[in-house]
Amino acid sequence: MAGKGMTWTEIGEQPVRQQLDSGLTIFVLPKPGMKKTYATYATHYGSIDSHFRRPDTHQEVHVPDGIAHFLEHKMYEKPEGRDVFERFAELGAYTNAYTEYTSTTFLFSATSDIDACLETLVRLVEEPYFTPENVDKEKGIIEQEIRMYLDMPGDRLHSNLMRALYQKNPVRLDIAGRVDSIRTITPDDLYVCYHTFYHPSNMVFFVAGDVEPGHIIDHLARLEASRQMKPSGLIDRIFPEEPLAVQEKRIQKAMPVAAPLFLMGYKDTAGLQGSDLLRRDVTMGLLWSQLLGPSSHLFNDLYQQGLINERFSAHYACAQSYAMSMVGGETPEPDRLESILLERLPGEALRSEDLERLKRKEIGEFVALFENLEDLAYAFNAYYFRGIDLSLVPAVLDSITIDDIETARQQHFREEGRAVSLIVPGQSEGGV
Amino acid sequence: MAWSRTADTFLGEWTQGMGSFVYPTKRFKTVTIYAAWVRELTVEGRAGGALLPHVLRRGTRAWPTRRVMEQQLESLYGASFRADVGKLGDKQLLSFHITVVDGQYLPGKPDTVLDALDFLAEVIDHPRLVDGQFPADVVDQEKTIVKRQISALINDKGQYALSRLIELVADGEPFGLKKLGTPAEVDAVSSSSLVQLLTESREANPFVFLVVGDVDADKIHQHISQRWARAHRQTLSTIVPYRGQHQGRTVVERQDVRQGKLNLAYRTQITANHPDYPALVMYAGILGGFSHSKLFINVREKASLAYYAYSRVDPALALMIVGAGIEFKDYEAARHIIEEQVEAMRAGRISREEISFTRKAYENEILSEEDGPGQLIGRQLEQVLIGGGLSGPELIDALNAVTPEDITRVAQGVELDTVYFLTNEEEGSHGG
Repeated sequence: MAGKGMTWTEIGEQPVRQQLDSGLTIFVLPKPGMKKTYATYATHYGSIDSHFRRPDTHQEVHVPDGIAHFLEHKMYEKPEGRDVFERFAELGAYTNAYTEYTSTTFLFSATSDIDACLETLVRLVEEPYFTPENVDKEKGIIEQEIRMYLDMPGDRLHSNLMRALYQKNPVRLDIAGRVDSIRTITPDDLYVCYHTFYHPSNMVFFVAGDVEPGHIIDHLARLEASRQMKPSGLIDRIFPEEPLAVQEKRIQKAMPVAAPLFLMGYKDTAGLQGSDLLRRDVTMGLLWSQLLGPSSHLFNDLYQQGLINERFSAHYACAQSYAMSMVGGETPEPDRLESILLERLPGEALRSEDLERLKRKEIGEFVALFENLEDLAYAFNAYYFRGIDLSLVPAVLDSITIDDIETARQQHFREEGRAVSLIVPGQSEGGV
Repeated sequence: MAWSRTADTFLGEWTQGMGSFVYPTKRFKTVTIYAAWVRELTVEGRAGGALLPHVLRRGTRAWPTRRVMEQQLESLYGASFRADVGKLGDKQLLSFHITVVDGQYLPGKPDTVLDALDFLAEVIDHPRLVDGQFPADVVDQEKTIVKRQISALINDKGQYALSRLIELVADGEPFGLKKLGTPAEVDAVSSSSLVQLLTESREANPFVFLVVGDVDADKIHQHISQRWARAHRQTLSTIVPYRGQHQGRTVVERQDVRQGKLNLAYRTQITANHPDYPALVMYAGILGGFSHSKLFINVREKASLAYYAYSRVDPALALMIVGAGIEFKDYEAARHIIEEQVEAMRAGRISREEISFTRKAYENEILSEEDGPGQLIGRQLEQVLIGGGLSGPELIDALNAVTPEDITRVAQGVELDTVYFLTNEEEGSHGG
């Protein structure tokens, strides 16, 4: 690790990173003594990548909303009728996959037969098989998944905030799409997305467990060599210009909840990547911890007034094409909560002794990340796709000053970039 | 007895109503300490039990406010601390959970474990009292929070349906009681009764301590016993399993939901310390524990009726729960398929593949638990409160020794007890 901060030796880790001829990057973290090996094979392709140029024809295409998630489901199906779930079951491994705004991740967790599991994961991701029949059958299952989310108040709260904050960027849409959008998906649509985004140059393989990195890399390199893939250029993703102003100031929805759920967002300008993006991310995280973390005056005042509970939180989320802050939780009086936040957020004192303490907290959390393989893989992949080297975190953390945080605050709280999502108790009136 | 530093198993025992169990291991970056007072779940006592951890979280002699307590935790490299009320069978657990980063991975190598134990001691032995009472404003604020938690139980429909099912099965027995009580019970708790409850818990309730991390078991046992051993603690009584008799009755309730939640409870007559328990675990795994299981294959993959469909055993109560999220109109079809699969198990229609997949899946699951401090603690706590049972490699061996005949025998003892269906308000009548 570079700079002031911590070395890998201090943290007690020895990761190995390598790029294959096909363009695929592999990251291996040996964890002696751990019982399980956890591996992810992830692509930098998520729900927001619905408008792009096909690399083969250079033709511009729009695909149905929710297709990245649909594709994730369909990758498990293979021609011989035995799907990949069965192959993993035979090996005693657990497998799963998830789709987010900017990535899709396939994973296994296993305590034996690691080589065979790696082969199966490679096959899972590298052999698409879509037919009209198997695509149609999936629609019923995904429809149930979408309906399940519709019953989750927290999920609706978030979804409505994204819809309010963004006018154009597809991050405003639900990751799984809508019942009507997924019904239009065809095998051809899936193949186009697959061939565009599931290219080794656009993907990363992460393995952590009681493994020998050299062996893992050789094994994956042999599997990859047989495909004879060559690195591809950058994928031409087309994102609309996102205005500074929000789509709607406020979205309110009634649902059968006990108390109102409040979520306020500030849309931030996007476009950063790599270490600039990391710096922004860490600065904003520290800003929110100081303003509204559990040790802040504001948090405790709101708590004592009964306006929030201990789960009330604020955080910053950013990728290359979007960035925002979100603040929220359950509250009996959303209007009063909102007005106190608006009044106090711009003026709360920022103190350097608080900053030093919060940096200690962040360092502790960074070290602790290395014992939970799932969380670590998640963090590693998320950073990787944003062009960030995980090892830079301690040094960046160390370099941030109270002035950096004050400057960030002054830029961030713009009224035109602010929106509120509310779920209030009552009967839902239909719609989303 | 000379304990090796990394035993990779829990070392310890109960003496005079106090259990101290330490799992020394080098696998983790953190040290986790869990402590709980074990109380019988009763209508009269539960609301006080739910409130006490909340008021203890509000201030101590040395750190008089929640905010200062949080600052202390942040200084401890982001230690996480929770004071909670939990429930296992007919027990109410007043629990304290602290996780600190192991000092050997931090700059300056501080002794964070001692700091964590001191923090815990400060919270339970020196709460902030004014004239011998918890401050009235603190008690009032926390009452409001707990009452809101009670109302918020309707927000998560899946969890809500499950807890309604257990309530119906219990039919007044303690294991069906909610751990938080009712709003009226919470209102009725007085500040002086909380002090009395604290004294009673601290001096007389069974106290269980579970520690996981790179620590010396002897030193921890000694430390804990010096601080918290008492001459007159009650001995721990184990959880009483369910022996009731509902002949498969069905209860349908209506709420404003988008997806129906179908839950079935089966009596198994077998708890974790029963010789047939490994066979029951195999039974539930083959029926619905994994993505290769009968329920997942038949309800989700073949009929596309659900996004999820599972079965799991409750090792303490001798119950098995089956759950699925379905369309309202599919109630009859889904229930039919579920009961058909239970019948197939009874008839011994189990393939060799199902057995071998299930064994391997459990092996993976059980070994993987050992990579998470929280999971290790949960598993040990369950064993302690049930009064025995196998876990870890011993359980894996026992599962491998289960024969198809054992599974069929257990299957024949499994009886439908209660069915609960949560549906929406408009559809026609269901069930019967």
